[in-house]
Amino acid sequence: MKNDLIPSSPLTVNWAITNKCNFACNHCYSRSDTKEELDLEMVFTILDTLSRAKVFSINFGGGEPLLRKNLLEIARRASDLGFAVSMNSNGYLIDRDMAGKLKEAGFAKVGISIDSPQPDIHDNFRGIKGSHARAIEALKYLKGAGIETSISSVICKINIEDVDGLVEMALSSEVANINFHNFKCSGLGFANKDILDLTPLEWRDFYIRAIELRKKVNGLRISLEDPIISQLGETGEETLVKGSVCGKLSLNIKSNGDITPCGFIPIVVGNICTDDLMKIWNESPVLHKMRNKEPQGKCLSCDSKSDCLGGCTARTLALTGDMNNPDPHCWKNES
Amino acid sequence: MKIFRNPDAMWREEDESRDQANQGLETGEDVADIGTSIILHSGKMHSLNILGTEIWKLLDGKSLDEIVASLQEGFEVEEEVLREDIKTFLSEMKEEGLIYEE
Ligand code: SF4
Repeated sequence: MKNDLIPSSPLTVNWAITNKCNFACNHCYSRSDTKEELDLEMVFTILDTLSRAKVFSINFGGGEPLLRKNLLEIARRASDLGFAVSMNSNGYLIDRDMAGKLKEAGFAKVGISIDSPQPDIHDNFRGIKGSHARAIEALKYLKGAGIETSISSVICKINIEDVDGLVEMALSSEVANINFHNFKCSGLGFANKDILDLTPLEWRDFYIRAIELRKKVNGLRISLEDPIISQLGETGEETLVKGSVCGKLSLNIKSNGDITPCGFIPIVVGNICTDDLMKIWNESPVLHKMRNKEPQGKCLSCDSKSDCLGGCTARTLALTGDMNNPDPHCWKNES
Repeated sequence: MKIFRNPDAMWREEDESRDQANQGLETGEDVADIGTSIILHSGKMHSLNILGTEIWKLLDGKSLDEIVASLQEGFEVEEEVLREDIKTFLSEMKEEGLIYEE
């Protein structure tokens, strides 16, 4: 089994199928995005394109994907074409009936965003009262319907003291996975970064704790997707590539068909409706640059450089303007 | 004993790399490092070289003997060497939960 392979096409596509949302989160990366949506016929054409490109899985996001008309029909088609279909939702609209419909439509996995084990903190953060309770209910209904569930939490000031609580919540909700997302500082996340983002040393402490929990806790996968944890001798997901996976294994499609390397990088590399997907994948100078990062500054003398490659490309780009700079969350040489 | 691919594992061949590896085989180059297919399972990714890919494709209920016999035709290696390679590959696959036996 070999390393460092850039697949001939994306393995996964994240697709913001709508940007409509029933929430008003402080860290939203897409609220300012276009509200334009593709019609059903175009969505089906895109599914065929992705199928020809042998993409494995499609993860619907947004916005709130359940606000997309025909979501179930779209998912059914995707799953008939052989994709592993999943989505990220805030869970507010998932009751028992909807969970059953999602299962029927072919959803294999659904991730629900919950940012705190404390209902009031989550509700405040997400801007909707009662949203925590409904998210927890949603997990129960989904599991009951036979769909694999996960929780996604964006780590920031509001939950940093409660990482153990998040894990306990995940265990009691019997999810397969909890994803700790690093704070990306894109979209509204950028505007609110001063009140939400952690300092590098806080990030270090968070990751030390999360890794301890990952080793200790049974029956729950704790996913950490941040390349800078290679400093702690850890890796994020088990992938074939080093550093950020952005632009190497997956692509992001926006609600109007624009393609970006990931949901947190606002650089449009083409449009799935009008451009050739394979040409973009193979020839985009932006993707090329992301796949061949040349970390600078303190990265040059860092022992973890070959694994970390300068950290999270999206965050580094958002905060410093140059993806080759050291990741601003990195705590090396910080005291 | 029959060996099967885990149906939950998603996999695909990488056409270009496969062609490259096939060409290499013809000209006698070492193609062991060329990944010609990708498997995705349980959030983990695996890349197989051309021999691995050909073994993987045969795992639809064939026995070890049948796999060896079938691959013997395509790869110019001694049967014993091939058998050992296949056994090592299968035990790695089994450890990763990518195959099962019946
Ligand atoms: S110094 Fe650079 S390469 Fe090293 S861990 Fe930090 S971001 Fe990664």
